[in-house]
Amino acid sequence: MKHYEVEILDAKTREKLCFLDKVEPQATIAEIKNLFTKTHPQWYPARQSLRLDPKGKSLKDEDILQKLPVGTTATLYFRDLGAQISWVTVFLTEYAGPLFIYLLFYFRVPFLYGHKYDFTSSRHSVVHLACICHSFHYVKRLLETLFVHRFSHGTMPLRNIFKNCTYYWGFAAWMAYYINHPLYTPPTYGAQQVKLALAIFVICQLGNFSIHMALRDLRPAGSKTRKIPYPTKNPFTWLFLLVSCPNYTYEVGSWIGFAIMTQCLPVALFSLVGFTQMTIWAKGKHRSYLKEFRDYPPLRMPIVPFLL
Amino acid sequence: MAALWAVSGLRPRPGPASPWSLPPPPRPAKSSLWCSRTESELRVLDMAASAVATAASKGNGGGGGRSGPSEGSSARKKKFPGPLATAYLVIYNVVMTAGWLVIAVGLVRAYLAKGSYHSLYYSIEKPLKFFQTGALLEILHCAIGIVPSSVVLTSFQVMSRVFLIWAVTHSVKEVQTEDSVLLFVTAWTITEIIRYSFYTFSLLNHLPYLIKWARYTLFIVLYPMGVSGELLTIYAALPFVRQAGLYSISLPNKYNFSFDYYAFLILIMISYIPLFPQLYFHMIHQRRKVLSHTEEHKKFE
Repeated sequence: MKHYEVEILDAKTREKLCFLDKVEPQATIAEIKNLFTKTHPQWYPARQSLRLDPKGKSLKDEDILQKLPVGTTATLYFRDLGAQISWVTVFLTEYAGPLFIYLLFYFRVPFLYGHKYDFTSSRHSVVHLACICHSFHYVKRLLETLFVHRFSHGTMPLRNIFKNCTYYWGFAAWMAYYINHPLYTPPTYGAQQVKLALAIFVICQLGNFSIHMALRDLRPAGSKTRKIPYPTKNPFTWLFLLVSCPNYTYEVGSWIGFAIMTQCLPVALFSLVGFTQMTIWAKGKHRSYLKEFRDYPPLRMPIVPFLL
Repeated sequence: MAALWAVSGLRPRPGPASPWSLPPPPRPAKSSLWCSRTESELRVLDMAASAVATAASKGNGGGGGRSGPSEGSSARKKKFPGPLATAYLVIYNVVMTAGWLVIAVGLVRAYLAKGSYHSLYYSIEKPLKFFQTGALLEILHCAIGIVPSSVVLTSFQVMSRVFLIWAVTHSVKEVQTEDSVLLFVTAWTITEIIRYSFYTFSLLNHLPYLIKWARYTLFIVLYPMGVSGELLTIYAALPFVRQAGLYSISLPNKYNFSFDYYAFLILIMISYIPLFPQLYFHMIHQRRKVLSHTEEHKKFE
């Protein structure tokens, strides 16, 4: 069996960084990255981007050396992706924050409101209900991160954790401040409004969870396969008939429910910003589904049935 | 560049610019040159102008200008604004140049009439509001693609100017007599006259070096001048905002929301601290690139 030689050059300076000889033709890019790390330990595999062309796309970890359009001496170009952090770590941090921060305001910990309100409790039942809903939502997210989600990518750039945490923690504090404020005004239509909002919230939480489970079942453990998601026996998944990313649809629905429940403008604004971001993601996902699968169901819209 | 100017037979018009006497828009044969030289300069200098325009461009991330990183070399644009769009843009830029000239003349005349430079705001209040607010159209230009700049960045820059005019100077009557208002109005006026005439000449495919030089050099003084005027004006407005509770909502209310305009203005002022140095030094960097590039180009003519 003929062995390959691999030379790795810096994509920007074309400097020769590493020369590997006697590489198996069946070697994957992941294995080459591991070999590269041996000579340059500061560049662990997750922050390596190897490509055939300095300005081209990154090669995938699963790509096999023999199948690439290279001769027996392959030249790969390296780009440093910067410090990386695992998705799981980011998710856990960004979700634990709101859970904790909201409770600080709920229990009216000192220095958040006037001193005479320290550790007092709201007299409105909707405030207690809102705390339960908000906390449930983030506990659900944490558990899903640990036990349900199967991530395509292991890592993301480190700076994302600062960006994401600022967003989640900031909005959580802003919302929690008003909902748990001593001068909070309960919803105009009283118990009726709260009941309706709670129903919307619960349905959407169940829906969102159902979709996460369905997506998980599409992909076997440890793999990175991509398949078209279809409705299952669970009625909540029937939204797949109309929408590519029903998890986002249900998520927006949950927050709209929470906004109606608390009748709090910051919650509505948070829902709006979240909706905007999720729409961008849904459109991207929808586009890549269409590109990858020729038989993709035509009725589906990215996030809002028939509309968006 | 100088050769092209001579060949095209165009001369800058001294009198009031009349849109109907302008030469026809550049023919496609010239467009490649337009694309390679003034197009990339347009992008580069767009950044310069936008930076001089205001420091409060939030979300800028790294002090970028209206468009992406500039290329000193020939960046050929595939989507070239058609003749109709070019004609419209020429008209727009000429009108804006004229408008800011009116403001400039108004300031000078008021100064001569009054004998002092205090409280000149009132003499140019209406054209200032009209033409600065009119700049909102530039967001539209980016959105429909006839100007190669980022919608987000242009929005931030124009909105912050509009914010200062309406939400600070117009809304807080007591600051209208402040000298800081004259400071930023003067800075803006000179900047905008140069910027809009620059665009006009670029669109007509000959750009006098003087205008390019002015745009890239005067900012060194005008930008800090404008920022100082803006900050001092906001600072002067603070006590009156606090007193009147201007644009502020307090609890309790039906929507469980509060907004303190006073605190908001302070946040705005603080945001100048990271933004101003970034934009300023970015422009200094651009200046070196563009003006030295022109020097080289001139050598070959």
